[in-house]
Amino acid sequence: MPSANMGRIKAIIVKEFFHILRDPRSLTMVFITPLVMIFILGYSVSYDLNRIDAAVIDLDQSPLSKRLAQAFAANRVFVVHNRGDAPGRMLSLGEAEEMLRRREIKEIIVIPADLSRRLAARGSCEIGLIIDGSETNVANLVYQYDERILLEFNSGLLAAGGTAGRLLRLDTKIYFNPEVRSQFFFIPGLVAVILLMISAMLTSLSISRERETGSIALLFISPLRSREIIIGKTIPYIIVALLDGVFILLFARFWFGIPLRGSLLVLLLFALLYILSGLALGILISTSAPTQRTAMLATLLITMLPSFLLSGFIFPLDSLSPVLRAISYAVPATYFLRIIRGVILKGAELKHFLFEGGMLVALSLVLLAAATRKFNRQRKAAQ
Amino acid sequence: MNAAAPAIAVRDLSKNFGRFQAVKGISFDVAPGEIVGFLGPNGAGKTTTIKMITGLLKITSGTVLVDGLDRREQPAQVKRKLGYMSQKFSLYPLLTALENIEFFGGISGLAPRELKAAMARMGEQVDAAVLGQKIHDVPPGIRQKVALFVCLLPGPEIILLDEPTSGVDPEARRLFWSEIYRLKTQGKTLLVSTHNLDEAEYCDRIIIIHNGEIVAAGAPDELLRRKQKASIEELFKDAISEHGQD
Repeated sequence: MPSANMGRIKAIIVKEFFHILRDPRSLTMVFITPLVMIFILGYSVSYDLNRIDAAVIDLDQSPLSKRLAQAFAANRVFVVHNRGDAPGRMLSLGEAEEMLRRREIKEIIVIPADLSRRLAARGSCEIGLIIDGSETNVANLVYQYDERILLEFNSGLLAAGGTAGRLLRLDTKIYFNPEVRSQFFFIPGLVAVILLMISAMLTSLSISRERETGSIALLFISPLRSREIIIGKTIPYIIVALLDGVFILLFARFWFGIPLRGSLLVLLLFALLYILSGLALGILISTSAPTQRTAMLATLLITMLPSFLLSGFIFPLDSLSPVLRAISYAVPATYFLRIIRGVILKGAELKHFLFEGGMLVALSLVLLAAATRKFNRQRKAAQ
Repeated sequence: MNAAAPAIAVRDLSKNFGRFQAVKGISFDVAPGEIVGFLGPNGAGKTTTIKMITGLLKITSGTVLVDGLDRREQPAQVKRKLGYMSQKFSLYPLLTALENIEFFGGISGLAPRELKAAMARMGEQVDAAVLGQKIHDVPPGIRQKVALFVCLLPGPEIILLDEPTSGVDPEARRLFWSEIYRLKTQGKTLLVSTHNLDEAEYCDRIIIIHNGEIVAAGAPDELLRRKQKASIEELFKDAISEHGQD
């Protein structure tokens, strides 16, 4: 076998270094991307919840039950809700379940009416826990926090002179995903991430292809207005992406057995708004991407990274730092994830997602306006 | 069209890309109804100049008047007067010839009746089976014919053709130039860039550009006589060598 020629290898090495050092994109990839990733991951890879909203229904209303409710309320992570709609009335189980469906709380803690009596008579009593299982990782975390509080409360009881048998135990029910199947948690999230990525990819590639082939010049010198180009470019892809969404949902339903407890129509209505935000994001990306390859890489990075890390898909939003939490409000997947999990797993209705729907409309409009403005500015820059 | 004013008047036109000056303060006129050939080697500044006239590239300095209208002051009115066929892209390859005509007619604001009439006109010139094929399957000569047809759909008075015959066989080039003559007889003004020197003979006047500067301009016969050259090729080589090779 002929030996390697070091001179030729050196020539390649030198040429590659020139390419790396003189190509700002390579330098960005080498030095900026790791910084961005470590910053985002460093603040998002955490399983510490900053806030757990819990409804406490105290049916006993004894000094002991009030102390137990106070033990939850005193914990810095827990925000306790115990008042019903009517003034001075205690929260009912029905109201609490509705709050659970609306994602206002993560769990319901039910203190039984005969807590003090049963504890005295039998030495133990069960505290009812109803946890939202639509986010399996959050459900597990919430349960761990509950266990810790109850352990401390039991220790307190023992220290106060109780007998060793006098213990409170948790009787847990998981709503919306009783088997705590992680697929129920991951598949709707994947649907959300994929749908955003595909929608953004469709428009970003469509416009960057026109730029790369030069056909955009013919559109620019035609009487078409920038907004006409953008509307014309968006509408066909709304239909394509919506069909894609239906296809993915059917696959999730029949292949992975993910239930659909709510209305498909409601889900598709919100999917339409979500797709619109993705298409607008794609157009915005394409205005800065000179080639299809750049557009594709930028779209993958901009849609997938925040959708995985900052939407509540993998890491609970309540575990994010305030800065990343603020950024998560600008991620369309944050809202659609709540909607898709809510409709699919909880059977939630249109009325439960008015805020999320409104935010998707607002994001779509802001992104479309920004994309049109930038597109128009590029067009006018030539004149 | 204002017969008194030049169809295109370019004055001290320059284009810089960073520190590189692609076009260096050139000036020329194109009279109404004239065919002007814009000749030069690759990278001479032909496409850059044409793109500045169309409004696809920002002018660094100088002015462009189209039928008396300032390109920078009245871009929309200028756009309505111009037709542009690019060397890089003229038609969508995945659409058929007819679909391309339908698309470009649509974005030009043609009424459905006008569009139908245009498609019928194209049908008289090209076999219907070919018109139904995707553009990337159509022979280059017919592709150029369709591209020119599409460029003419909005009815422009001034037509800018950027290397329209590159990659086309000699017979198709000859047919294309006969089409350009037909347009001249209709009173259209044409500025045609090319690096095929034999095409100079089809032009009323030629402008030779090299390294962003005009190195010769005039009617082909007059230039040959003035410079005492036997052929355009000789004239071209001489003009370029006088101004230095790259």
